[in-house]
Amino acid sequence: MPMNADGMQRVSSTSSRLLRVGVRNTDLALVLLLQEPLAQVFAGESLEDLDLAADPDHVLSVLADMAAQAPGALAILAHDHGARHRALSVLGASRGLAQHFLRRPEDLALFATDGPWERLSSAAAMRAYLFEGVAAEPLAEPAFARLTGAAARNALRIRYRQLLSCIVAHDVAHGVSFERIAEMLSDLADAVLQTALAIAQAELAPTATACRFAVIAMGKCGGRELNYVSDVDVIFVAEPLAAEDDPTDALRTATGMATNLMSICQDFTDEGTIWQVDAALRPEGKDGALVRTLSSHIGYYERWAETWEFQALLKARPVAGDMALAAAYIDGVMPMVWTATARPDFVSEVQGMRKRVEREIPADQLSREIKLGPGGLRDVEFSVQLLQLVHGRTDPLVRGRGTLEALAALADHGYVGREDAAVMASSYRFERTLEHRIQLLEMRRTHLLPTDELQLHAIARSLQLRNTEQLDKALRHHTKDVRRIHEKLFYRPLLQAVARLDAGDARLSMEQAVERLRALGYRDPEGAMRHVEALTTGVSRRAAIQRTLLPVLLGWFAETPLPDQGLLGFRRVSDALGATPWYLRLLRDDSAVAERMARILGYSRLATDLLLAAPEAVAMLERLEDLQPRSLEQLLGEFRATAERQSDAAGAVQMLRSLRRRELFRISAGDVLGLTGPVDVCHALSDVTEATLVAAAEAVIRHWEQRRQCPFPTRFVTVAMGRFGGRELSYGSDADVIFVHQALDETADCQGAAIEVASAVTNLLGQPGTEPALLVDADLRPEGRSGPLVRSLEGYAKYYQRWSLSWESQALLRARPFAGDVQLRDDFVRLIDGLRYPAAGLPDAEVREIRRLKARVEAERLPRGADPTLHMKLGRGGLADVEWLVQLLQLQFASSVPALRDLSTLGALAAARDAGLISADQHEVLVHAWLTATHLRNLQMLLTGKSQDQVSTDLTDLRLMAEVLGVPSGAALLDDYRRATRRAHKVFEQLFYGLDADRPDLR
Amino acid sequence: MDKQTEFVLRSIEERDIRFVRLWFTDVLGFLKSVAIAPAELEGAFEEGIGFDGSAIEGFARVHESDMLAWPDASTFQLLPTRSEVSGVARIFCDITMPDGSPSWADPRHVLKRSLAKASDMGFSFYTHPEIEFFLFKAEPQPGALPVPIDNFGYFDHSPHGIGHDFRREAILMLEAMGISVEFSHHEGAPGQQEIDLRYADALTTADNIMTFRAIVKEVALKEGLYASFMPKPFSTAPGSGMHTHLSLFEGDRNAFFDANSQYQLSKVGQSFVAGLLRHAGEITAVLNQWVNSYKRLAGGGEAPAYVCWGHNNRSAMVRVPMYKPGKGNSTRIEVRSLDTACNPYLAFAVLLNAGLKGIEEGYTLPPGAEDDVWSLSAAERRAMGMTALPTSLGEAIRVMEASDLVAETLGEHVFDFFLRNKRAEWEEYRRQVTPFELEKYLPVL
Repeated sequence: MPMNADGMQRVSSTSSRLLRVGVRNTDLALVLLLQEPLAQVFAGESLEDLDLAADPDHVLSVLADMAAQAPGALAILAHDHGARHRALSVLGASRGLAQHFLRRPEDLALFATDGPWERLSSAAAMRAYLFEGVAAEPLAEPAFARLTGAAARNALRIRYRQLLSCIVAHDVAHGVSFERIAEMLSDLADAVLQTALAIAQAELAPTATACRFAVIAMGKCGGRELNYVSDVDVIFVAEPLAAEDDPTDALRTATGMATNLMSICQDFTDEGTIWQVDAALRPEGKDGALVRTLSSHIGYYERWAETWEFQALLKARPVAGDMALAAAYIDGVMPMVWTATARPDFVSEVQGMRKRVEREIPADQLSREIKLGPGGLRDVEFSVQLLQLVHGRTDPLVRGRGTLEALAALADHGYVGREDAAVMASSYRFERTLEHRIQLLEMRRTHLLPTDELQLHAIARSLQLRNTEQLDKALRHHTKDVRRIHEKLFYRPLLQAVARLDAGDARLSMEQAVERLRALGYRDPEGAMRHVEALTTGVSRRAAIQRTLLPVLLGWFAETPLPDQGLLGFRRVSDALGATPWYLRLLRDDSAVAERMARILGYSRLATDLLLAAPEAVAMLERLEDLQPRSLEQLLGEFRATAERQSDAAGAVQMLRSLRRRELFRISAGDVLGLTGPVDVCHALSDVTEATLVAAAEAVIRHWEQRRQCPFPTRFVTVAMGRFGGRELSYGSDADVIFVHQALDETADCQGAAIEVASAVTNLLGQPGTEPALLVDADLRPEGRSGPLVRSLEGYAKYYQRWSLSWESQALLRARPFAGDVQLRDDFVRLIDGLRYPAAGLPDAEVREIRRLKARVEAERLPRGADPTLHMKLGRGGLADVEWLVQLLQLQFASSVPALRDLSTLGALAAARDAGLISADQHEVLVHAWLTATHLRNLQMLLTGKSQDQVSTDLTDLRLMAEVLGVPSGAALLDDYRRATRRAHKVFEQLFYGLDADRPDLR
Repeated sequence: MDKQTEFVLRSIEERDIRFVRLWFTDVLGFLKSVAIAPAELEGAFEEGIGFDGSAIEGFARVHESDMLAWPDASTFQLLPTRSEVSGVARIFCDITMPDGSPSWADPRHVLKRSLAKASDMGFSFYTHPEIEFFLFKAEPQPGALPVPIDNFGYFDHSPHGIGHDFRREAILMLEAMGISVEFSHHEGAPGQQEIDLRYADALTTADNIMTFRAIVKEVALKEGLYASFMPKPFSTAPGSGMHTHLSLFEGDRNAFFDANSQYQLSKVGQSFVAGLLRHAGEITAVLNQWVNSYKRLAGGGEAPAYVCWGHNNRSAMVRVPMYKPGKGNSTRIEVRSLDTACNPYLAFAVLLNAGLKGIEEGYTLPPGAEDDVWSLSAAERRAMGMTALPTSLGEAIRVMEASDLVAETLGEHVFDFFLRNKRAEWEEYRRQVTPFELEKYLPVL
């Protein structure tokens, strides 16, 4: 570099060079760099080497501190280019390790070119170096350390940290692969455990009984994929010297040795600690004996071990002590790992555990959690282990310990696709390396991405990324890949099993595919594989798209209670629509559509049946707005316009029925997907029914006029009754109506024409056909089935004048004229208002009559053998109880309390509470029971397709409903339902029958 | 297979067991038994034993009748009463639905749910019952009055008494089954016996009570006698109660003990008692489930009829016994209303939940009663705020019907069945014309 006479200029050019290599506080750096020996170390071009340090500011200050203590120690950095390179990288990546060098500046010599860092990288060299530190004979078996006590512990710690620094140098200065670094860290851990055992042997009380003793590494150390900072998982096993001896004394010695070995590693001394030794994976966990004999270990796994304990055993590896004993341990327990996977529910148990872990992460940490978060390390480790457990049973070739090793084996033998395996491996490497860098920072056990911007920056630099945005982007890219791991590793290979590929390339066999699907929750995996085959075989565009799609769908189906049903449904939709271009485009381009479809098919029989009746409705799943119930105005507009375009009434009603079916699918799909609430479902069902009836009546009248070539001679109105009147229809409900007309042309047969229209509407909507029928029920009309189907307004007036019965007034409470002449509707409402809201309230005799009627209904209408505590409509505290109570209150008080003139049960209940007719508590109990019964009845229909008034006691149905409702079990669901309705029944009895609480009710 | 299952299967081989009785309890507290061959037991541990639940009182309706009984290996015991040649063992079962989910009709499950709730609050629940019963000379004959085996009284040592031999025999047998017996003596009525079981966790105690009843009945039969747990066989002599001592532990520490409180009863203990008292009426139908139970409660003496507590007051419903210095861990309270003919699983469950409710809501303990409650006038009792326990099964049913506490404890299914069954019993009883009426009215009316 040319020397410049102008000092200021030199300073400023140094300062800009410092900025370029990443120094933030250049003023301080300039001052430090003026002093020896730093000036000499960074003379000339070597200043650029600061760029190697992830945190150059920190490195400079550490070096300055070291220079102050031992100026000579830095000399090596001035003349040995390689040593400088390594020192800057190591000190820059880890503030934690920098502490070590502050205490022992002379250790910079470790980094000398051709120096210890290079020589001490093999397992044997590390072991020899540590043994030398405690003066242990390297070849003795068992090994004894001549150095013991605090001196041995301190020596072990210092040498451990030196070796660790050498590994870090390989990692950050020489870009050695993650696999090799993890191996070296495991080798170092092995050497530490072996040395600690040599110390523990030497410290053994002279009176102790000799024994055979071995340490088995588990977890990441067992898999030779250890972290920088992590607990080291171990299991201890011991035997007396002679097999026939009583093991009691041997176990006592061994337990003392194990305890001592652990404390040698984990105790804090003047030289700090190494790491925690965790023996919690042993039989019975923390409550179990620390050391067991071989037969006791084997006995435990034979009889009592839990599923996850076998999963843990996958990693077991002999590490220290009596290697023959350790090998016997591995030979004894490993076969059991492969039989345990045959346990029913093995996979679901293991997966359940994984989900629990994920749920326990605080939400604000989820995206920073590199190990346990979604798309994190655990997802890869876990999925690989799961595949090992499923397939390792029959194939010893995939039983390797390490994650990447096992992944490679799975790919080599066709259990997962090569490319997918490669993608997962690369993401895993990235995330593990990132985890290493985070841990290096402070030498702390963490797998949370820091929030501190400076730390993030240092980490990004240590990964050769320019800034934190790049880091963020890379991490997101990899977690996104890993999140698709189930699709890629579990399901995509299934397609290979059915694909007709060239022989020779390893791939999943049919048996293996079936085994995997069974493990993942499919009840009929053979059948499922047949569907997979049918869906993916061939050269059509459809088969090609389905090959991409199916692995994702299979995973989604597996998360529903009925995966087989979901897959079958998909196949049927696909068979119907497969050739339709938009369908394939939709599924290919929008994964949300496929996910919604998977959920609908896997959960709801009703929606599945509606979808299969006309699969093109799948188009609705594209936009969430399309899954919202449509307003009555929208429905009326479309229904009317469509009906008008048809040439005859039958054709028009047929079209209306298909429109209705489409709307039912919309409602049920929104319901399954949790987009539409229970009350909105009732409203939506009522609106669809209403629009259908309006358009159907209009179409029938229009075609009557066309046929007769004359105007329809009478005004015609349809009146909604019952739950339809209250806009509270359920999926399975009939539409209760009555018909009324008022003659326009007195000369014509108005009554006949009206009846003709009413019958035509009822018949056309109700007759069997390909589209679901709408059953129109006019039995609530005066005189029931024996009365005329339609009456004139005057006819109703006369009838009610002469014959009015209290139950008819009660039925009229929910009468709502909705279709036809507006004037007639108003007139009809005026007519019935006097009946249903009697001005003087209800005479006692009529109150008694209604009570008696209800009591009779309770006794007679409940089907034989029905469980009254589970009958949602007529059972104890069910819908009828609440509705009759509301209606009684309306008949009694609606004339004086206008707010009670509400056709809906919930509206009237609220009005009754506001008017003080029922207490707030009673209101709450009644509303809760009514909503519970309404929701459960709809849910049962939606999920099981069973239209029944009794809560199903079928265990599968119950489990399905409990899962959707988030209740722990079917029995708990029944308990909740019975409790809600029991309470409602109590309130009902008090209010309806006027029973006071103290009177015994002894039915 | 777990440790205990292993042990059971091994014992069966070693002891030459010929039959294994699978025991469970119906909702009314009657013991049910299915005998299987030892070879079937391993299968029963793995897959359960199927049976028709609709045949068991309160278990299921016909359409949901398939159920499974799962032996609980920790309850395995040899039955010593059978001949020495070939052994018979018993083992209690948990009842599940065919899909393995627990049946909510199983009284054991009811108690387990209450215990789980206590455990969530950090408590374990221990009980210690004093079981009274009568010994008669022969099995009951229709129309004949029962004849007690003796006419001795409370604590009477009965030299060469049949009762003495009987108690020794029964106790030996219970001990042989691993059921520790603490105390036994002759009670206050002719032929009446008392045997106390040592305290244990509530589930074990309930199992032990079921075993106890079976053993006592069997020993009596073997001696040519008849043992009965009917609460009140004689109008004029005291009835058979099952005074039960209750305590809660937090880990190893007795949660009822507090050296600085009055009677050394901790805040937790006080709230627990307050819970028992506040909900006493609601749980009475479970503690005293028969028409006859109320004859005992009306009889005075040791049987309580009023809702109150006292320190060493033997007429109070809840008694807080004298604290023995240095024995903090034996601090307990004694409930005196329940009788031996209850379903112990359900009874312990409602007692526990009533007490826990007191702890949860922080009920305060009303002042204790120091007088003999029976000797107070009605006005005095009213003044002291003492309410009466239900005086008949009908009244107890009515109070229970309104109880969310009992419904939640029993589960809606058992709650509903129990009430229906008890209403029917009460209705049947109301139609009876009793000897009392014939004697009193026929001569004069």
